Amino acid sequence: MIAFSKFELENGLRVIHHEDKSTPMVALNVLYNVGSKDESPEKTGFAHLFEHLMFGGSVNVPDFDGPIQTAGGENNAFTNNDITNFYDLLPAENIETAFWLESDRMLGLNFDEKVLDVQRKVVLEEFKETCLNQPYGDAWHHISDLAYKVHPYRWPTIGKVPKHVEDATIEDVKTFFYNYYRPNNAILVVCGNIDAQKTKDLSQKWFGDIPSGSIPARNIPPEPAQKKLQQRINQAKVPNDALYLAFHSPSRTHPDFYPTDLLSDILCNGSSSRLYRRLLKQRQLFTQIDCYLTGSVDPGLFIIEGHPAKGVSQEEAEKAIWQELEEIKRDAVPERELQKIKNRIESTLVFSEMNVLNKAINLAFFELLGDADYINQEVDLYKAVTTTDLQRIANEILTPENCSELYYQAQAN
Amino acid sequence: MMLDRTKAPVIRMPEDVQLPKYQKHLLDNGIPVYEVHLGTQEVVKLELVFNAGRPFEHKQLVARATTSLLREGTATHSGSEIAELFDFYGCSLSLPFNLDTANVVVYSLSRYLDQVLPILQDILENPSFSTAELKSFVHRKQQLLKEDLTKNEVVAYRTITDLIFGSKHPYGYNSVEETYAALQREDLQKHFDRTYTIDNCIIFLSGKTSPAHIQSLNKYIGRLSRTGGKVSTSFPTLPTVTEAHFLERPETIQTALRMGRKLFNRQHEDYCGMYVLNALLGGYFGSRLMANIREDKGYTYHIFSQLDVMKFDGYLYIGTEVGNEFVAATRDEIYKELALLRDKAVSEQELEMVKNYLIGTYLTMIDGPFQASELIKTIVLEDLSEDFFSKLVQTTRNITAKQLQDLANKYLQEGDIWQVSVGAPMKN
Repeated sequence: MIAFSKFELENGLRVIHHEDKSTPMVALNVLYNVGSKDESPEKTGFAHLFEHLMFGGSVNVPDFDGPIQTAGGENNAFTNNDITNFYDLLPAENIETAFWLESDRMLGLNFDEKVLDVQRKVVLEEFKETCLNQPYGDAWHHISDLAYKVHPYRWPTIGKVPKHVEDATIEDVKTFFYNYYRPNNAILVVCGNIDAQKTKDLSQKWFGDIPSGSIPARNIPPEPAQKKLQQRINQAKVPNDALYLAFHSPSRTHPDFYPTDLLSDILCNGSSSRLYRRLLKQRQLFTQIDCYLTGSVDPGLFIIEGHPAKGVSQEEAEKAIWQELEEIKRDAVPERELQKIKNRIESTLVFSEMNVLNKAINLAFFELLGDADYINQEVDLYKAVTTTDLQRIANEILTPENCSELYYQAQAN
Repeated sequence: MMLDRTKAPVIRMPEDVQLPKYQKHLLDNGIPVYEVHLGTQEVVKLELVFNAGRPFEHKQLVARATTSLLREGTATHSGSEIAELFDFYGCSLSLPFNLDTANVVVYSLSRYLDQVLPILQDILENPSFSTAELKSFVHRKQQLLKEDLTKNEVVAYRTITDLIFGSKHPYGYNSVEETYAALQREDLQKHFDRTYTIDNCIIFLSGKTSPAHIQSLNKYIGRLSRTGGKVSTSFPTLPTVTEAHFLERPETIQTALRMGRKLFNRQHEDYCGMYVLNALLGGYFGSRLMANIREDKGYTYHIFSQLDVMKFDGYLYIGTEVGNEFVAATRDEIYKELALLRDKAVSEQELEMVKNYLIGTYLTMIDGPFQASELIKTIVLEDLSEDFFSKLVQTTRNITAKQLQDLANKYLQEGDIWQVSVGAPMKN
């Protein structure tokens, strides 16, 4: 249970405060409601490149990182399809430094050409390091391209091609900033050893006079239901074959998200889960196997990925997984197995509340989804799931028509 | 009043940075338990540590194989039953790989720890190390190894540790398919019998702990009885002449660079000073390497330097992945940065930044039961003095620019650095 309070500044900035006296630190998190889904198909990777530019100096402060570190703090950020999220963790004594810096870069950037020039190069190296120079590093490019035909989830956050990042101009940067980096498009969360009044005062002092903006309306076309199996065989210089099955699945806010999440856990979370135990351990058909949801704001994907063991054919690997999926569709999951997964989830949620930074990031994300208090309702939503729900979801989602399949065939090196 | 945004808020660093209190208990069979009672959540972490890592092996890779197979079955429980039981109570059992020790780690809600202790006792008493499980472990590991070896950064890391310590040294050798294939179940049993003993075990318990937890530990783990006497170890002589290795992989578009040298363990008088110097060089975002090679030149997404410290030795290395066209330039800039640290004292402003940054990280090291327990574990296992942490804090606060420059001259000489690149050919 995370007790928090919530208020809104006149410029529309939503602020959430949670006090935790057990820590000497305070975490400050700023979530901007903009992600790679807001990019133009011709300029992908831009939201993430922009995240890098946010560290290159703002109107009144030439450098972001230096002052945070001098205040004994750390900071970083991440971008995904839906959001761009910045966070700072400092000793409680110095939290005002984070208010100062975060508010100044929300006020305005210095739009330095040199910063853009260097960060374009840095992001291109990141593109190479994470996607192009890694075995299976382009899996996400293939999967999103297979599964989404219309929705902007069809390109990955890093960008569809490096060229898009290379072509970014300072004009693009300015437009993007004033469109999206406004207080009324952001959520500020302050967690840790700080009281509510101080949070209120500092928020008003530093963020209060930042003008709000008019945020472009989102006009994202929903992805139409998939009608038939999508398949792609990728012959690549990878060490071993790899299989990915991606099924369209409910959005993070849909009530069915919870049973779907438990279904993925039953299949493959933990060393007693079905795919791990039966296919990897007992039958030794795979050397790695995993199952997870993307958990995105718009309808996402339920992913099963595995590396077949040496000598196991693509057909055998696929067949083994589909047998498991057919079983879970046909036979209700035993109560004890469902209870086991619920216990695991409860444990995971309790552990996730140990860390103030984690709490800050989660509160911001749930507020974006509609209400920060969802964070406290999750346990009950998971507990309410029945074996009937699981069977219904399995039958709805885990079908060939709803599936995109990517197979890496390892070419001899 | 108009807000002056050009003026930074006043910075005040916390005075009180102290290792949290812990309690030491002895189980009936003499195993010490270090308990850190702290935190707000109803959770505990139990960690059993045996001196059973690589320095205590009689055959390469036995330590890792033995630890990994502990969960795969006992005389009375199958691997599948063990997995189901831990999962049912929402507990996690992990067997992380450490160079020096074998660790058995359980995370649990405070109320469920009792439920898994009987099976933990069984695991530590009667593991079966079945031939079939070993075979499947070996196959899996061989295939993962094959994947790892396609990554330039993995090959570069393996090469540099091999160069610094030598391929016979527990900290230097690397796994290859053949070493996995040579493992026999008898090797694992022998390693287990010799090292997983009550006189070679230390327990760390942290979180929302209670006297009942200690009683239960005593009831199960306190009943273990196998003894073996203290295990000892010896090390081969280390290589002395530094080398440069360039491994060409024409098809890759980025090159992995690793540069490093042997240093020492945490007992060495210069350890705390080197901890600060390493941060300055490449230990955080504001470090020299990041500021120059990423934030000014854009050659890489990430560059770092790091002190890897084990019980008996340690080393410092720099690592990065750079675009092929930037390899030689990056290497030259790294050498420039080392020279700069040797030749010129760090400015007061930069010194203040690195010191405060480190003090902040020390606060997070003691923030919460698991972090605190981690620190206490290091102190206990590496036979450090009780005041090790406060020495680290004091050194960080008091070290001068001159002292850091002296350390750079002592330890960051170009001639002492081993160099490895994997990817594009190294051009001058």
